[in-house]
Amino acid sequence: MIKKLNLKSNAAVERLFNGIVKENPLFVLLLGLCPALYVTTSALNGIGMGLATLFVLLFSNLVISLIRNSIPDKLRLPAYIIIIAIFVTIAEAIIKTALPALDKALGIYIPLIVVNCIVMSRVENYAAKNKVLLAVFDAFGMGLGFTLALMMIGAIREFIGVGELFGFRVMPPSYPGVSIFVLAPGAFFIMAFLFAIHKKLKVHKVMKETSPDAAEDNKKETSPDAAEDNKKETSPEAAEDNKENPSPETAEDNDKNKTSEAPQGKTEKKVKKEKEKKEKEKKEKEKKEKKEKKEKEKKEIKLKIAKTKPEGEKND
Amino acid sequence: MMTLKTFIGGINPRNNKEMAKTTPIEIVLPGKELVYPLAGKYGTPAKAIVKVGDKVFAGQKIGRADGFFSVPVHASVSGIVRGIKKRAIFTGEQVKSIIIENDGLYDEIDYPSPIPLAEMANPDIINRIQDAGIIGMSGSGHPTHIKLSPQNPDKISHIIINGAECEPYITNDHHLMLSEPDRLIGGLKVLLKLFPYARGVIAIADDKTDCIDLLREKTVKEARISIKILKNKYPQGSGRQLISAVTGRFTSTAITAEAVGVILLNIDTVINIQRTVLTNKNLTSRIVTVAGNAIKGPRSFCVRLGTSYDTLIEAAGGYIKKPEQIISGGPMMGNALKETDIPVTKLSTAILLLTKDEVLKSNQTACINCLKCVSVCPERLLPQQLAVFAKHDDKASFIKHAGKECLECGCCSYICPAKLDLTEAIKSMKLPLMS
Amino acid sequence: MNGKTKASPHLRSKINTSGIMLVVILALMPATGFGIYNFGLNVLYLILVTVGTAVVTEYVTGLILKRAVTIDDYSAVVTGLLLALSLPPDTPLWLGAVGGMFAIVIVKMLFGGLGQNIMNPAMAARSFLFISFTPLLNYRNPALEGESPSLLDMLVKNTSGVIGETSMLAIILGAAFLIILGVIDLKIPGAYIISFFAFIVMFTGSFSPDYLASYLTGSLVFAAFFIATDYVTRPISARNQILYGILLGFLTAQFSLRGYGFEGIAFAVIIGNLIVPLLNKMGTGTRND
Repeated sequence: MIKKLNLKSNAAVERLFNGIVKENPLFVLLLGLCPALYVTTSALNGIGMGLATLFVLLFSNLVISLIRNSIPDKLRLPAYIIIIAIFVTIAEAIIKTALPALDKALGIYIPLIVVNCIVMSRVENYAAKNKVLLAVFDAFGMGLGFTLALMMIGAIREFIGVGELFGFRVMPPSYPGVSIFVLAPGAFFIMAFLFAIHKKLKVHKVMKETSPDAAEDNKKETSPDAAEDNKKETSPEAAEDNKENPSPETAEDNDKNKTSEAPQGKTEKKVKKEKEKKEKEKKEKEKKEKKEKKEKEKKEIKLKIAKTKPEGEKND
Repeated sequence: MMTLKTFIGGINPRNNKEMAKTTPIEIVLPGKELVYPLAGKYGTPAKAIVKVGDKVFAGQKIGRADGFFSVPVHASVSGIVRGIKKRAIFTGEQVKSIIIENDGLYDEIDYPSPIPLAEMANPDIINRIQDAGIIGMSGSGHPTHIKLSPQNPDKISHIIINGAECEPYITNDHHLMLSEPDRLIGGLKVLLKLFPYARGVIAIADDKTDCIDLLREKTVKEARISIKILKNKYPQGSGRQLISAVTGRFTSTAITAEAVGVILLNIDTVINIQRTVLTNKNLTSRIVTVAGNAIKGPRSFCVRLGTSYDTLIEAAGGYIKKPEQIISGGPMMGNALKETDIPVTKLSTAILLLTKDEVLKSNQTACINCLKCVSVCPERLLPQQLAVFAKHDDKASFIKHAGKECLECGCCSYICPAKLDLTEAIKSMKLPLMS
Repeated sequence: MNGKTKASPHLRSKINTSGIMLVVILALMPATGFGIYNFGLNVLYLILVTVGTAVVTEYVTGLILKRAVTIDDYSAVVTGLLLALSLPPDTPLWLGAVGGMFAIVIVKMLFGGLGQNIMNPAMAARSFLFISFTPLLNYRNPALEGESPSLLDMLVKNTSGVIGETSMLAIILGAAFLIILGVIDLKIPGAYIISFFAFIVMFTGSFSPDYLASYLTGSLVFAAFFIATDYVTRPISARNQILYGILLGFLTAQFSLRGYGFEGIAFAVIIGNLIVPLLNKMGTGTRND
C-alpha cells in the first residue's frame, strides 16, 4: 500500500527518516509516554512540546557528540544530565518570555524534558557513539518524529474531546465533546489505536526493506537497531511477512545469487541445481510454517471459542 | 443406619442402573473364536507356553507369569490354539494374544485337590492367587498378589472391599453381592487370615439398600468384619476417595494406600480369591454389564474371558437404536470403541451402547470462570488452570500445581458448561509425565 | 457410529454457557419490567438499543478480528442489559449505543473475548460514559438532598436513580431466582452489602436506618447480586470472594460518601476487578497452590 521510497545513499538523511518513521520515539520505541499523555490535550500544545524537545535534543546531541571522547565512562550520566539541563533551562527561559500561553499549558512538563526518556536515550545510545553530523540529524529525526506523533495525538484528542482543531471550533455547537479524551485515560486509548495502526501498516517495516544500506546496517554492530531487527525477523510476524511478500524478496535474493556467484562454464549446471534446491527448501519451509500456524490457530479457536463444526474433529 | 462422611467434590450423574439392576445375571457362552491378550495394564506381559495346534482345556495355563510383577493367562474354554498374533483390545492397542478355537465341549483340566484354608501358609495363599491369574477386576488391572504383599503386613489396619460401584449403568458388583454373599465374606476371611491385625470393611453405596441389608445380616456375628454405608456419589469408588471416606486417611500419588495401612479390593476380585483358595480353580470368567438405550435387553452377564464383545451384544438382544457411542467400561472413564470384535479381558467391566440423547454435548465456548470444575474435583485441583497449562505444554507449572494428582475421573469435563475437554487436556499432559 | 472416537468422559451435564446466561437474563426481567413501568417506553427503547448494539458489535468485531462468532452464548445480551439498567432513565439512545460498543469492543473483545475481560464490561462502559458525557447523565441522587424515600417507594416505585433500581422487590426476586438455581451464592453479595453498611456507619458515626436507606440501597443491592457476582471477574477461593466483597463495600462506601451515585459503584467494581488477580495469587483454596 505505501509506496516504497527511494532513499539516497546518505546516512544523514537516513537518520531523519529513521526518527520520523522507522523508529518513531513514541510509536515504536515507546519513549516519552508521560509527557505525551499530559501535553496532547490539543494539537498546538503537542507541537509546542515537540519543538521544545527537539530544541533540547538537537543541542544536547550536538554538544555531547562533540565532546564524546572526552567524557570519562564512569561520569557519563551526570555529564549528560548537566548538559541536557543547560539546554532545558534555556528552552524554558525562551518559552516563558516568548510564548507564555504555551508555558501555561505545558506547565511543569517543560523542565521535565530533562528526564524525558527520548533525550537521555538518544544521547546515550547515539550521540555518544557517533559523529556530530549524524547525531544532529538523528536529533532532528527523533525530534520531528516526536513532534509529529504528539501533533497527531493532540489533534485527535482535541477533535473528539472538545470539537476543536488547532484552536478553531470544527464541530457544530451541539457537539457535547467526549470529555474522557481530554483526560489521561482518553490519551491512552488514542495512543493505543495509533500504535496499532502504525504497526498494522508496517510503516517501519517498509522503510527497512527498501533501505539499500541493508548490508551496511548489518556491519554496524554498535547500532542497537541491528539487534532489534534480528529479533523482529525471528518473530512470528516475520514469518507472516515472508509469506505476504515472498516474490520481491526471493526474487531479489535470486538476483543477488546470480550476480555474486558468476558461474564459470563447467559449474553452470551445478549452480542451477543448487538454486533449484534452495528454492525448493524455501518453499517447503514456508509450507511448514503455514501449517504450524494453522494448527496453532485451530487449537486456540477450539479451546477458546465456539462454532458448530458438523464433524466435531479432534486433534489427536 | 448412619451415612458415612463422604469426600469433597464429586458429581451426581443420572444412575441409569435401573436397566440392568432388575434382571439377574445371565450366563452366556462364547462364540467360535476366543482371544487372550498376554499383556494387561500393569506389569510384565505373560509368556505364551503353548504353540499353534496345541489342544488346551478350560482353566489350563497358556501363558506363564514372567516374574513377580506378572500374572499368568489361562484358557477359559477347551479347544485348539489357532494362532499367537497381535489383536486389538478395548484400548485400541494391538496386543500379542493367543487365539483359541472353541470346540464347544468346555472340558476343564483336572484341578489338584485343594488344601484347607487353615493349613495353608500365607505365602502359599499369595502364590495361589498369583497363579490363578487374579488382578483387580474393577478395571484397574492391578495384580492382586502384589497388593497383598505389602512391605509391612502387620501395619495393615483395614481391608476395604469396594462396594460403591459409582459409575452409571454398571451393576456387576450389585448382582454379585446379592448372588454370592457367602463367597464374598469367605474371601474377606482369607484376607483377614493374611493380615492378622486388620479389620475388614465392606463399603457399600447407599443406592444398594438390598445389598446392605443382606450383607449386614450375614456379618452380624463376624467380629472383624463390618459394613459401612457410603453416600452415592461419583467417584466414590475411586481408591483415594474410598479410603478417605472410610478411614479419613489422606492418600495421593506420593502416599499410597499401603503406606496408610489400607488394602483396597474389588468385590469380584475377592470372590475370585475365595473361589481359587477353596477350589484351586483359575480365573476364567467375569461379570460384564451390557447397557445403554441402544441395546434391547440390558443386563449383566457372566462371561468367559476371551469372548468377543459381539457375542455379548447379541446375547443382550442386539441393537434397537443406532448407538452414537460404544464404550468399554463406564461412561465416565471408559474407552470409546471403533469396533466391537474385541475380546472380553479381566479389565472389561461393561459394554455401553449409548444413543445420541445420552451422550449429546452442546457447542464449546470459552471458559467463563464459573468455578464448577473446582467445586466438583475430588482431588481439590483447579482443572481449568491445569488444562491451560496442558494446552501451553507448560510441564513445570503443571507439576507445580499438583497436576499429577488428577484421577482422570472426568467430573470436571462433565460439569463444565463451556463443554471444554478438561479431562482430555489434563490426561494428555499426564501421560508423558507418569511413564 | 462415527469413525472418530471421543475421549472420556462420555457423559456431560445438560447445563451450558448460554443456559446460564439465559437464566441471568430471566432474573433481570423483573427489574427491567419495573423500570419500563415506572419510566415509560423510552426506557424500553434505551434497553433495546444498548443490547442490540452490544450484540451487533460483538458479531462485527468477531468478523473483523477473524474469530468465530459467539453471539449465541448470549453474553453480549447480558452485558448490554446490565449496562442499560445502570443508566439513568432519560439517557439519550445514542449514549447507550456508544456505551455498548465500548463495553464489547474495548473491554471484552480486545482482551480476548468471552472469559478474558479484566473488568466487568458493563461497569467499565458505565464509567467511560460517566467520565465522557457527565452532563448528559444526571438523575436525582436523594442522598445529596438528605431525603429518604418511604419504604413502599423503595420497594416498587423508586423513581430517583438508575433504571435498574426502581424496585427493590424486583431485584430481590431476581436474585432469589439466581440463588435457588445455584448460579450465584451469597458470599459476595452478603459481604458486599454488609460491609458497605458497616463502613458507612464507621465513617459517619450515625446509625439511623432512614439515613442509611438513602445511601444507594437500590443500586447497591442490584450491583451486589448481579454485577459483583459476575463469573469472569471474581476470585476463586471462598475466602477471597468474601474479601472481594468487603473491598467492594469499602470502595463503594467511600464513593457514596463523596456524593457519587451509581458511578461510585461502577468505579468501585472496576477497581475491585483489577485487584482480583492479586487475590487469586494469594491463594486459590485448592491444591494448586
